[in-house]
Amino acid sequence: MSELIVRGARKAYGATVALSRGDLHLKPGEVHVLIGSNGSGKSTLCKIVAGSVKPDAGEVLLDGKPVTIDGPRAARALGIGIFYQELSLAARRTVAENILLPAMPVKGGIFVDRTELEERTARIIAEFQDVAGEGFAADVTVDRLRADQRQLVEIMKALASEAPILIFDEPTSALDRAQVDRFFEILRRLKQEGRAMVFISHRMDEIFSIGDRVTVIRDGATVASSAIAETNADEVIRQMVGEREALSAESKPPVPAAAGEPMLSVANLSGVGFRDVSFTVGKGEILGFGGLHGQGQSSVLRAIFGASAHHTGAIEVGGKACAARTPAEAIRNGIAYVSGDRGRDGTLTGRPILENVTPIHFLRNRLHLARPSVLTALVEGPLKALKTKFQDIGQPVNSLSGGNQQKVVIARWLIDRPSVLLLDDPTKGIDLAAKSDLFQLIRSLAAEGMGIVLYSSEDAELLANADRILVFNSGVVTRELQGEERTRYNLYHAAYEAA
Amino acid sequence: MSTDALPSRSAGNAALAFLKKPLVVALILIVLLLAVGEWLSPGFASPGQILRLLIVAALLGIVAAGQNLVILGGREGIDLSVGGIVSLAAILAGNVMNGADGGILPAILVCVIVGALFGLINGVGVTLLRIPPLVMTLGMLGVLQGLLVVIRNGIPSGRAAPGLSDFVVQPFLLGLPGIIWLWLLIGLAMAFLLRRTVFGYRVYAIGSNEQAAFMAGMPVKTTRVALFMLSGVFAAIAGMCLLGYSGSSFANVGEQYMLPSIIAVVLGGTPLSGGKGGYTGTMAGAVLLVLLQSILTTVHIDEAGRQMVFGATLVALMLFYGRAKAMRG
Repeated sequence: MSELIVRGARKAYGATVALSRGDLHLKPGEVHVLIGSNGSGKSTLCKIVAGSVKPDAGEVLLDGKPVTIDGPRAARALGIGIFYQELSLAARRTVAENILLPAMPVKGGIFVDRTELEERTARIIAEFQDVAGEGFAADVTVDRLRADQRQLVEIMKALASEAPILIFDEPTSALDRAQVDRFFEILRRLKQEGRAMVFISHRMDEIFSIGDRVTVIRDGATVASSAIAETNADEVIRQMVGEREALSAESKPPVPAAAGEPMLSVANLSGVGFRDVSFTVGKGEILGFGGLHGQGQSSVLRAIFGASAHHTGAIEVGGKACAARTPAEAIRNGIAYVSGDRGRDGTLTGRPILENVTPIHFLRNRLHLARPSVLTALVEGPLKALKTKFQDIGQPVNSLSGGNQQKVVIARWLIDRPSVLLLDDPTKGIDLAAKSDLFQLIRSLAAEGMGIVLYSSEDAELLANADRILVFNSGVVTRELQGEERTRYNLYHAAYEAA
Repeated sequence: MSTDALPSRSAGNAALAFLKKPLVVALILIVLLLAVGEWLSPGFASPGQILRLLIVAALLGIVAAGQNLVILGGREGIDLSVGGIVSLAAILAGNVMNGADGGILPAILVCVIVGALFGLINGVGVTLLRIPPLVMTLGMLGVLQGLLVVIRNGIPSGRAAPGLSDFVVQPFLLGLPGIIWLWLLIGLAMAFLLRRTVFGYRVYAIGSNEQAAFMAGMPVKTTRVALFMLSGVFAAIAGMCLLGYSGSSFANVGEQYMLPSIIAVVLGGTPLSGGKGGYTGTMAGAVLLVLLQSILTTVHIDEAGRQMVFGATLVALMLFYGRAKAMRG
């Protein structure tokens, strides 16, 4: 039976410290819950244990002996199995092959032992068969499965490793109630067998129903560890929020702007990843979208912008119905959208700064001819307003720093002002100075009468800049925080409760 | 477009960057090849001979204009069907005019419409049906080749009108034949299209990042279809001119244009990944290729040998540009 201790684990990516002091004490026969807000370092800690991330400092002890885990293969040899949050399945292979991928039964040295494969996988699949739903079988290829079924395959893969230590990084996010219950039954049985399990989940109810111990990570450091029986949801959230809550300026709400006439109204918007979302953004208001990553915030913004066509509900911009099927239509209706994934959605890589700023101007003025001299004069203002640093308007946009690239992308919306600005995690991966320039600009745009929606995965950023916050949980808005309610505590509380 | 080179700090770097520009490289190579040609066979670089080379280069250059546009549009854009369209246009034009000047205008009309139509089918297949351009246009080439056999029933037919032949080979203005002026005009039109129109900006945008172009409200699919249509039209125009050059059409006259049109584009500094480059370089690339071809003929390397040299040139170019790209990244 294995006991795993991690002490003072540290990992930095360049200047960003993902984990500053990760501690974990995992005992045999327990389900150990790891909890922390977005980007607190939970996944990094798990990856260190699983050998897929090499720590800069710290030690790992297995049964009291220090070990180095220098790769996934080494982790497996030490008896550590992991369920990855980002699914790591081979799409074109069958369920059975995926389950046994890490340890294919082999005969004669090179051939896959088909009989053995079938027998072992049949045993594992049988445990979930009645909750797996239609179309789930050992010989079906993974790309034909639904999201929940794929997650089950990933779970089975971890279980099939029969490792004494199992790590589950958000294994239940796509599962339905019955599937979660079955999974928990199995976890309880494994617990009795004396195996040690790490469990990451954002659902408080799950944590308290399956966990034995809970360790809280905040800003890259382990801050508390207690037995589940001796704590409660409120206390855990308080530990995640930390002492800063009482004194920090960041959570001090800005002076609420007097929300004017509605600029954007959304009623009963439903689509892939979100349902029944309704809200109104007033003139001069910054409405925040909060909650954990991927709870539907981005999907809602992209749907409003016409970037994903399949949704139902009513959208009005400035009192006029706007059912944009493409970004072009949304732009003509006065909507602007800035993506945090600028490499994918924003920059025209390799093209000059000038060409990166002009497209919206062309579209809104229905232009056909482009005169570089006129355009250069036109884009200088917005670039200057954003304090963009560049040498030449003709230099390729990708020769700039991340923050300046994002400024170039934002500048394209400032030549012809939109009435609604949608910001989809706009500061992802940009430096602090650029962030502060950006928020200054956003505030002044609001003051000029724009209606702004801001989704940010950084809670501090959201609390400091949004006049009002809608908290998303599993695709629905679970809470609206106004005025003095806009605190870290309330934000986490709404984000972590069962939806 | 001087967007490739970053502003350099020292003059030495600037000179080096200048020498690394594909257009400059191509021009230097052209002079070098002319000298080699003259050395191998005196008279190679005589004015009359150079003019003949330019006419042949113009034919290739016109096909390469369309190829250039499709490649600039990115997403593995390539048009392998240009050769088939050249052949088809040559036959159609020959049959429509059948040696009479009065048939030139109708022939132009028929060729442009047919070229645009096949381009449209290519474009729709690539955008709406999501067939990779390589596969789509290769399939189209097969269809065209079959069609040629059916139309002609194996027997050559159709003759160029005297007016058309004169346009291609006889001096028209300043001692240069009409086709050279047409080519120069196309060069100017391409430069204008790519640098002074919103359409041109869009071509570069979708070529460099299609998703971002879509998110900036650009009509990505329409633009791409238009590029394939333009490629069809340019190939058809070249087909007509080719008929004027050779007087009558023979089996698969256009076949020789598929590979060279791609090489001319890449030689001219437009990478196969699209999103950057331009037509001026391609024009130089076309001249360079025709020169190379001519030198190979001078030293008695036959068609098969020339094909091998061209294929190897393309692969070598890919290696060269692929490496440059990796170093930048």
